[in-house]
Amino acid sequence: MVSQRLLRWQRHPRDYSNIGRTAVSAVLNGLNLLTGETPVLLSFYTVNFLNRGTLHPEQEKILESLHPLEIKLLHSFRDKETLASKEIIDKGLIDESRLDMASNWLLKKGLIEISGEEVTSSVSLTETGGDYCKNNIPEIRILSALREGRSFTVKDINHTFHLDLLEVSSALGALKESGVIMITHGGFLELKSDKGTEEFESLQDLIGLIGEKESLNLGDLSDEHKSIIEAHHRKRGKSKGIFRISEKRNRIFSLTENGRSILSVLLKQGETGEDVSQLTPDMLKEGTWKNKTFRKYNISLSPPRISIGKKHPYREFLDFVKYKFIAMGFEEMRGPLIENEFWNMDALYMPQFHPARDIHDVYFTKEPSQCREIESPFGKRVAETHIHGGKTGSKGWGYPFDINRARRLILRSQGTTISARTLASGPKIPGKYFSIARCFRYDTVDATHAPDFYQIEGIVLGEEINFRTLLGLLKLLGEEIAMVKEFQFLPAYFPFTEPSVELHGKHAKLGWMELGGAGIFRPEVTIPLGVKVPVIAWGLGLDRMAMVALDINDIRDLFSRDLDFIRTKKIRL
Amino acid sequence: MATVDIKKKDLERLFQKRLTRSHLEEYLSLAKAELKEYNIETDSLKIELSDSNRPDLWSVEGIARQMRTHLSGNPVNYPFFGMRKKHLREIKVSSEIKQVRPYIAACAVLGLRMNEDFLVQIIQSQDKLSEIFGRKRRMVSVGIYELDRILFPVNYMLAEPDRVSFIPLGMDKRMNLKEVLERHPKGITYGSIVSNFKKYPLLIDSNAQVLSFPPIINSREIGEVKTETKNIFVEVTGIDLRMVNLAINILSVNLHDRGAKIEPVLISYLYQTEFGKKITTPFSMVEPVKISTREFTKTLGEEVSPLEIRKCLVRYGHNVSVGRSSITVSYPPYRDDIMHPVDIIEDMAISKGYSSFKPEMPHQSTVGGLSETELFSDLVRDYLVGAGFQEIVSNILGSPEEFRERMCIDEKLIEIENVMSRSYSVVRNRILPSLLKVETASSKSFYPHRVFEVGEVVIYDPLQNLGSQTRLNLGALISHPAVSFSEIHSYLDLLFFYLGISYRLEPEEHPAFMPGRCGNIIVEEKALGLIGEVNPAVLDHWQITMPCSAFEINLDTLSTF
Repeated sequence: MVSQRLLRWQRHPRDYSNIGRTAVSAVLNGLNLLTGETPVLLSFYTVNFLNRGTLHPEQEKILESLHPLEIKLLHSFRDKETLASKEIIDKGLIDESRLDMASNWLLKKGLIEISGEEVTSSVSLTETGGDYCKNNIPEIRILSALREGRSFTVKDINHTFHLDLLEVSSALGALKESGVIMITHGGFLELKSDKGTEEFESLQDLIGLIGEKESLNLGDLSDEHKSIIEAHHRKRGKSKGIFRISEKRNRIFSLTENGRSILSVLLKQGETGEDVSQLTPDMLKEGTWKNKTFRKYNISLSPPRISIGKKHPYREFLDFVKYKFIAMGFEEMRGPLIENEFWNMDALYMPQFHPARDIHDVYFTKEPSQCREIESPFGKRVAETHIHGGKTGSKGWGYPFDINRARRLILRSQGTTISARTLASGPKIPGKYFSIARCFRYDTVDATHAPDFYQIEGIVLGEEINFRTLLGLLKLLGEEIAMVKEFQFLPAYFPFTEPSVELHGKHAKLGWMELGGAGIFRPEVTIPLGVKVPVIAWGLGLDRMAMVALDINDIRDLFSRDLDFIRTKKIRL
Repeated sequence: MATVDIKKKDLERLFQKRLTRSHLEEYLSLAKAELKEYNIETDSLKIELSDSNRPDLWSVEGIARQMRTHLSGNPVNYPFFGMRKKHLREIKVSSEIKQVRPYIAACAVLGLRMNEDFLVQIIQSQDKLSEIFGRKRRMVSVGIYELDRILFPVNYMLAEPDRVSFIPLGMDKRMNLKEVLERHPKGITYGSIVSNFKKYPLLIDSNAQVLSFPPIINSREIGEVKTETKNIFVEVTGIDLRMVNLAINILSVNLHDRGAKIEPVLISYLYQTEFGKKITTPFSMVEPVKISTREFTKTLGEEVSPLEIRKCLVRYGHNVSVGRSSITVSYPPYRDDIMHPVDIIEDMAISKGYSSFKPEMPHQSTVGGLSETELFSDLVRDYLVGAGFQEIVSNILGSPEEFRERMCIDEKLIEIENVMSRSYSVVRNRILPSLLKVETASSKSFYPHRVFEVGEVVIYDPLQNLGSQTRLNLGALISHPAVSFSEIHSYLDLLFFYLGISYRLEPEEHPAFMPGRCGNIIVEEKALGLIGEVNPAVLDHWQITMPCSAFEINLDTLSTF
């Protein structure tokens, strides 16, 4: 059904309001695969004529809309008043599947009409019938074996003759009923009479006859044969049957008056529907293209949809950010998704009683739940810093640091974790680093919270780092990454930086918004990790910008599963 | 982070000046506070305080104080700190309480001019200090009583759970301590703080009246404050002496700012504490900090004079004495967040105004670049896009069904202990389930589908320090009616050709793929991934009705060849 409507649609691609677009694409693909033709060639052209003759506008419209197949079909009526579909197919004018298509189009346009219809039934063998043709029907098989003097029981029959139970029981029933056999004590079969076997023999003969010819016209058969077939043909719902009866419609078409006048114009113009749509390599090799007329296409029609390879729009956005950072002299950092609390929090001087370490803020792993060790000498140094400030010039938090708590495994909750690891691994000085890190937070998933999300953060190290260069860097990030020109710096609080600052910018579409947070790492962070110069830590919140760039309102759409959505999503940076 | 609800009029009364909206927001930034909501009709402001180390700001009085200091240019000094006075009200602390909830601080507050708004604010302050600062009362909890009903000295002691009874707030019958824990809503919520001990904390006065069962509930007779109340008694109990003292300091300055008279209370311990056996609370724990002006200049990035520093810090609430090349700062007693000179330096910058600092670009040159893994991953992504594949970005968390059951795989995965939603309770160890998830949702998108994702996965590995390995994998999947092994193989083959790496496939039986149509991808004798036609049983689990072929390969190992 959809195929039929689709074919119509292919000729009028804009008129598909009543057919699901997705259904169309599915069928398009199906057709592709079946015919090996591209839908473009099949569909998107109409014929143009140089000389239109004397038709009135309605007719001209019809003439313009004719598909080569339709023209070909009309041509078949050149010297005939009526044409039977069988004749058209038999003469090889148009094949069966396309004839249906072309005749339906012409019927709809009123160029032809159906002047008669005959149904012919033919009979052929089913799979079972084929088997019986080769190996005889079960009744005959049993009879011949008995005649050969073989002895067997009812129970033996199905494996002796490779028959299934249904076949056995119906064959035995038939043989008993016609009085040919009897069943003795012990279940042995015995020949009772030689008469009464004609029924089986004539069935076998008929099977042989049909098997030989493959298919016979039901009308050509004798009444006797017809009644045998009637008794043994496959009926709906029954799986076994010997004969299959199939009906074929032979429609008789005749031209309408309108069709006749269109045909005469076609004849005058020499339009046969045989003109060429596709330039082929052979035409080029042989030079035959010179003698061909190429159909003109209606190029104002919409093309069919195709899919291409494409980056994910959110990744495109993140790639843009990534290359901006490289351009500004930042090196990329990476780190593990499963972290211990030490690198995620302790090393960042977040006390072990900090609310952000709560069971309602961070995801803990089930098993294993603890890492094996904290890298030396950082464990000890960080612990001392928390307890009494260590060698940092700080008073420390003044609580008993629990190293087992530090070993607790969690899902990384902030990108700064990666910066902490970088500080501990001998970073370049001066140095600039960034990471685009997947992070996890204990949050109800909704339009503003994804189950996991990207954080963009990093560090800048150097002797020249101070509050003013911190502001300068933020301004640069705002201009280059967020593409914002107006800024505001506001006091902020982060457990690991002092001074801390929030960067607000005036976004072209969103207005004033928080773009990110930053600060100079507390000495309690840098000194235990072995860094003696000041370090800027910064983080940008770009998800809202990404959502604007992708024109979406729900953060979950950044990770959409809907391929249609992903394929069609454009990004405007 | 705390959020407080206050009335604008109340704030203005305490600030002693009216505020326009833009002025308000400007002043709020001094307290690292952000205006979240303003309802003109009810005159209510919802304000978010971001500094979790500044509980003194979690009240209308605290916010107003920070703003008022800036406006007046002078710190507010509170006379009752360090007040020497005979005949103080006294709390006697028994020795056995040391094991359970060792510290207490208190003050008497006289001459309150209470009204509805004020009472609401007192209760809000009490709540923020107990719930957020006090970690749901475990570290610190606050109790407020009618002063005039109490006969001093008050005893802070332990009591047998079933021997003492009183009428708790919200009830009209006497209950013993055990019954309070079992039946009173507060007992049910906070009971775990004390229920492990044999005896529970109790505040009881010299008339043997129970004041409260800290940190659970007050007595209804003494511990209920009404709008008519003029004189109140405030106490804080807890397990951290500094926190307990800080809480009473904050409450006392807040009430003082409301015009009440604060009278200190003597706490007599039978055991030694960080501040001695006898502590008069409110108690200043301030230790003056000496900071060189050079340190200010270095951190702020511009020359600042001691006088300028002094001016800024005083306006922020500090007392400052100026030396030749250094200053000495006595921070206010309601703060205990000064751990390092940088904390004072930030106060100076905030007081001066962040906008007064001229941003300067860090000019030292550095060379940017991507990690080897990322470079390699980009190369692979470009190839796949060129080969006609649509890139996918998926969530890394999913359900055990998605990553295990539907895949017919029985592998150990990293699972979340404190699950919020079962749908996001497991970390993926392959990309393939993410791609199948897309297929499940996209049967209506026209075929063929060619999708891929380069992304992180986590492999359970108890031998690793972190119990796991985070890997970067590439997964690619093709889906259409006639998809085959050889089609996906062609793409893999070409990928290896362009990467210039040789590989071979080794037949493999893997439950996620069809038997006899699956292979291990072997590079230098290492199995780096799998390729095959996806098992129809797997497709069935995902409710996918279109055949799929796929491969998945580990990129961070591949990038090293």
